Amino acid sequence: MATIITIPYMVGIVIDRAVDPSNPSIVWTVLGGMVLAGSIQAVGISLRRYFGFKLSYRAEADVRNRIFAHIQRMAFSFHDVTSTGELMARASSDLSQLRLILAMLPITLANIVMFLVVSLVLVVIDPVLGLVASLMVPALLFASARFANRVVGYSFDLQQRLSELSHVVEETVSGIEVVKSYGQEAQQQGKLDHKAEIIYDSAMGMAKERAIHRPLFEIIPALGTVAVLAVGGIRVVDGAVTIGEFVAFTQYLAVMVLPLMITGWFFANLPRSAAAASRIDRLLETAPEIRDPRRPVDLKPGPGEIKMENVSFTYPDGTEVLNGVSLTIPGGTSVGIVGGTGAGKSTLAHLIPRFYDVSDGAILIDGVDVRDVRLDQLRSEVSVVFQETFLFSSTIADNIRVGDPMASDEQVRAAARLARAHDFICAMPEGYDTVVGERGATLSGGQRQRVSLARGVVRDPRVLVLDDATSSVDAVVEAEIQEALRQVMSGRTTVIVAHRTSTLAIVDNVAFIEGGELVAFGPHESLLRDVPRYGEVLAATEEGAGL
Amino acid sequence: MKYMSSAGDYRVEQPGRLIVRAARISHGLRWPFIGALSATVTATLVRLLGPLVVRGGIDEGITLGDKSAILAAAGIYVGLLVVQYFATALSQWSVSYVGERYLVQLRSRVFSRMLRLDMGFFSRSKSGVLVSRMTADIESLQEFASDGAVMALSNLLTVVGVAVAMGLVDLTMALAVFGIVTVLLVVSVIFQRQARKAYDRVREQIGRVLATLQEGITGVRVVQAFTQEGSQASTFGRINEQHFDANMAAARAISWYFPVVAFLRVVAVVSALAIGTSRVIDGTMTIGTLVAFLLYLDWFFQPIINLSNVYNLLQSALAALAKLFGLMDEKVEVDERPGAYDLAEPVRGEVGFTSVEFSYDSDVAVLHDIDIAVAQGERVAIVGETGSGKSTLAKLAMRFYDPSSGRVTIDGVDLKDLTHRSRLEAMALIPQDGFLFSGTLRENLAYAKPGASDDELWEVLSVMGIAQWVRSLPDQLDTEVRERGSRFSAGERQLVALARAFLADPSIIVLDEATSNLDPETEEKVETALATLLAGRTSIVIAHRLRSAERADRVILIDSGAIEADGTHDELIAGSRRYAELVEVWQRGLA
Ligand SMILES: Nc1ncnc2c1ncn2[C@@H]1O[C@H](COP(=O)(O)OP(=O)(O)OP(=O)(O)O)[C@@H](O)[C@H]1O
Ligand SMILES: Nc1ncnc2c1ncn2[C@@H]1O[C@H](COP(=O)(O)OP(=O)(O)OP(=O)(O)O)[C@@H](O)[C@H]1O
Ligand SMILES: [Mg+2]
Repeated sequence: MATIITIPYMVGIVIDRAVDPSNPSIVWTVLGGMVLAGSIQAVGISLRRYFGFKLSYRAEADVRNRIFAHIQRMAFSFHDVTSTGELMARASSDLSQLRLILAMLPITLANIVMFLVVSLVLVVIDPVLGLVASLMVPALLFASARFANRVVGYSFDLQQRLSELSHVVEETVSGIEVVKSYGQEAQQQGKLDHKAEIIYDSAMGMAKERAIHRPLFEIIPALGTVAVLAVGGIRVVDGAVTIGEFVAFTQYLAVMVLPLMITGWFFANLPRSAAAASRIDRLLETAPEIRDPRRPVDLKPGPGEIKMENVSFTYPDGTEVLNGVSLTIPGGTSVGIVGGTGAGKSTLAHLIPRFYDVSDGAILIDGVDVRDVRLDQLRSEVSVVFQETFLFSSTIADNIRVGDPMASDEQVRAAARLARAHDFICAMPEGYDTVVGERGATLSGGQRQRVSLARGVVRDPRVLVLDDATSSVDAVVEAEIQEALRQVMSGRTTVIVAHRTSTLAIVDNVAFIEGGELVAFGPHESLLRDVPRYGEVLAATEEGAGL
Repeated sequence: MKYMSSAGDYRVEQPGRLIVRAARISHGLRWPFIGALSATVTATLVRLLGPLVVRGGIDEGITLGDKSAILAAAGIYVGLLVVQYFATALSQWSVSYVGERYLVQLRSRVFSRMLRLDMGFFSRSKSGVLVSRMTADIESLQEFASDGAVMALSNLLTVVGVAVAMGLVDLTMALAVFGIVTVLLVVSVIFQRQARKAYDRVREQIGRVLATLQEGITGVRVVQAFTQEGSQASTFGRINEQHFDANMAAARAISWYFPVVAFLRVVAVVSALAIGTSRVIDGTMTIGTLVAFLLYLDWFFQPIINLSNVYNLLQSALAALAKLFGLMDEKVEVDERPGAYDLAEPVRGEVGFTSVEFSYDSDVAVLHDIDIAVAQGERVAIVGETGSGKSTLAKLAMRFYDPSSGRVTIDGVDLKDLTHRSRLEAMALIPQDGFLFSGTLRENLAYAKPGASDDELWEVLSVMGIAQWVRSLPDQLDTEVRERGSRFSAGERQLVALARAFLADPSIIVLDEATSNLDPETEEKVETALATLLAGRTSIVIAHRLRSAERADRVILIDSGAIEADGTHDELIAGSRRYAELVEVWQRGLA
């Protein structure tokens, strides 16, 4: 930095020698000095930049890792109400905003010191001219801060609107079957055009500010030059400064322009970065609602008895789903959960591995409250096959291995056989290494569901929860799967949400839920006999069953 | 390969072709563009005059001791600056106007083109990639439009202008500077190559980071269910680290280039001074000329640095254009042919498949020898093993794909001869995954019929027997369904998707396992509602349940992509061994 300050000064000395060549040899010394100063300066810039970048990129990568890990730990209830786009923004645009400021920090600090020193040097050379030239510092700082400050609002809007637009595109692509089924391309196009148009408004708002302020960044230094020309010229004529000093002034102005602009930009961006930082901070500070107990109880090996004591559950938005459900599933037995659409079957199933915590009451596995067990232990003992199939866009084998990363190839195949997926997987050109499209798009619905089932049974859990896990497979395959399930079910507790009587025939007991309450619990046949509503929900009335 | 992508015909190496094509897409922007160009040229020319005025001030004023000449020069300079301010502001604004307007047009064009593409295209594209066409790629054009274009033009003009001005002021000194500038150019080109590679890598890596992030968020429930948080985080960490490395490679390139430029600038000043002072001593040059020259020097280096930045922006903009054009050149496999016509009203609703063959990839035939005739008002059930091709059949009926051979018809007219509008008005498909858009329940119900009144919505809801349920929701029709409808249970989502289809009121309806998550009682209600709402309509129902087959007028059994049996339920029991087996399995289940 010191070198930046000395170079214009040396220019001044050289010019003075040119005007008054009494001692020409010094010119060469000074010029040599300038080259030396230039090299030192180059090395300085290089190191400063490199380490500035390194520091800020490192920080960015670390924070991004933390955000990701944190998101992975946040409870279902958080993800229910937080959009993907919002979380993406935290880990991308907010974070870059933060990184920029970090990268600029050392440079800005150095610049501020430089302005002070330069102004001092200028004032020492000539107080009048020094003051005139130094006026440019506040003027340019003010202009660039004002510009950045005005633009911040627009660029924030712009960011917001861009993410809305990307949401429109994302939804259109994900829901393309629906769009095409109803020929609603025009509706989607309308949504997109609207977003594009408001993006245009923000962009033009920004353009206006840019048009007003940007030219100032040239004009202000030029005005500085004019002022130096007028005031300095007169002072040269008066003999107060030498012509060399005069030229040195013009050179100082030239080298300060860029640092001044950057500094102004830095200060104007501070509030925006602070906002981004606080958003990130808020996310990281939000503790997962479901977390490990302070003093975890070890879940000792056991038969897998599940006991629900007076369980009630209400979603955070106030939707009451379960109300005082009490039931005991003896270890090693299987239970079917039956209820109308939206009765709360999935919700009930989700309470066992603590995807949500009960609002009231308690759930115990082998006598231990699930809230007292470490989450990873609990969830490794409870395996869930979700009602909605989600596959990662990787190979089929990888998707099955999500259930148990340690599983051998043989175990993966065994699980696939059990889920009646092995045959169709082998029929694919690349077998288990076939990469399925996003969310498994290149598989048929039933094929996807069977891969997801294989994922659920590849490990050896104490409790297996199947939420309507065969809804999309045909009757023959379903019967085969049920046959296979009989083996799987032995020796573990199995909870099966099902609508089909064929499935209910293989479970030991059925829990029938209606109106948020447990209406009946017992073997399928006895419920059919004793609880008329049960038969109605299954539509297993006389005429139906007779066919 | 039939579905090979035609993207990538355009290379960034053919910038001319790209730019010409980009210009041809625009409309109504010629005059604003010319205006922007003239403002930019004016601003640059005026700027170039500045140092000459300073020279005058020094030589006429300072050297001769004439204060009024100094003030006159200052006055003239201020005047020039006023002109320069307005010209620059105008140029900034008008270039942005042209650029932004253009992007609105481009976005709309690309999206409408994308919407016309067939389902095959969508199933083999990653949604993240398509989203990034419409966002990241267009944003890099946006960056170029708002920053790069003005910079490119004015800096280029400045460099040329300054070179000319320097030459005019003093040729020898100019030549010395040009020598150094040549070095600068070489250095810049080397930097450019390196930086472009580095930035390409950064872009690629950030794409991977974002894709992994997105999947980590959408799949978070599965991750947690199987306690894979740790392994997910370490996978992400690895990808994130590669992004960091890419960033650092770019940082290294930048870290040597700019210091070298700064050093060269000092060398240029030193050489100008070395030559200049000796000539001032000789008396062959005035001090004013030397100062003017030094001022010009500054305007030489900054623009060249700027240009190398702009070149970066330009490269990404061209790369983005190439990708966008690649998307626009994607062949529309399923297109409305010229001369397509509408179905004759009233639409009868007969559906026909004649010797249809189909494959997603050319090597494996998913459907073959399909001959089906569905009569007006008939209700046909399609049954068969998972993966046998039932959904594919439904997709062909909707013309999501065209058959590899054979014909699919409505009322005897080949779908290929029909206008899209007419076909879509006649048919509706309720796909296996009834996708809901984030927004309110009302928006989702009225999706197929924008502007439907609340009364219409309630009517359909009550015929389906779910009005009560909707009334019990906290915000009723205004309930936010959240991403993919995650506010609802799986069955509730299917009910909404069904209601949406009934509201569309088509002549032919295709239900692809649209009730698989419903409990039997609700399913019954929906089926009854279907009969009421679609009385006299043709329906094709894909289902895995006996009851749907029994209720149908006719059942078609598909096996490995071919029709195994076709007839009424009773005929098939008698005539098809496979069907009889299937029914037996069903009945065992019901017992
Ligand atoms: N987009 C696609 N690209 C490539 N192959 C596909 C694609 N969609 C489906 N397939 C394959 O085509 C075959 C038939 O699939 P289809 O979805 O028609 O089956 P389906 O009979 O509807 O099965 P399900 O009862 O499980 O829904 C399957 O083997 C599937 O893997
Ligand atoms: N995240 C949520 N926030 C608020 N309410 C919810 C949420 N998820 C589900 N609900 C509501 O809770 C009720 C029970 O949902 P659940 O998914 O448990 O039903 P289900 O019995 O599994 O139904 P289905 O048979 O359709 O799968 C439904 O009325 C649903 O609308
Ligand atoms: Mg459910």
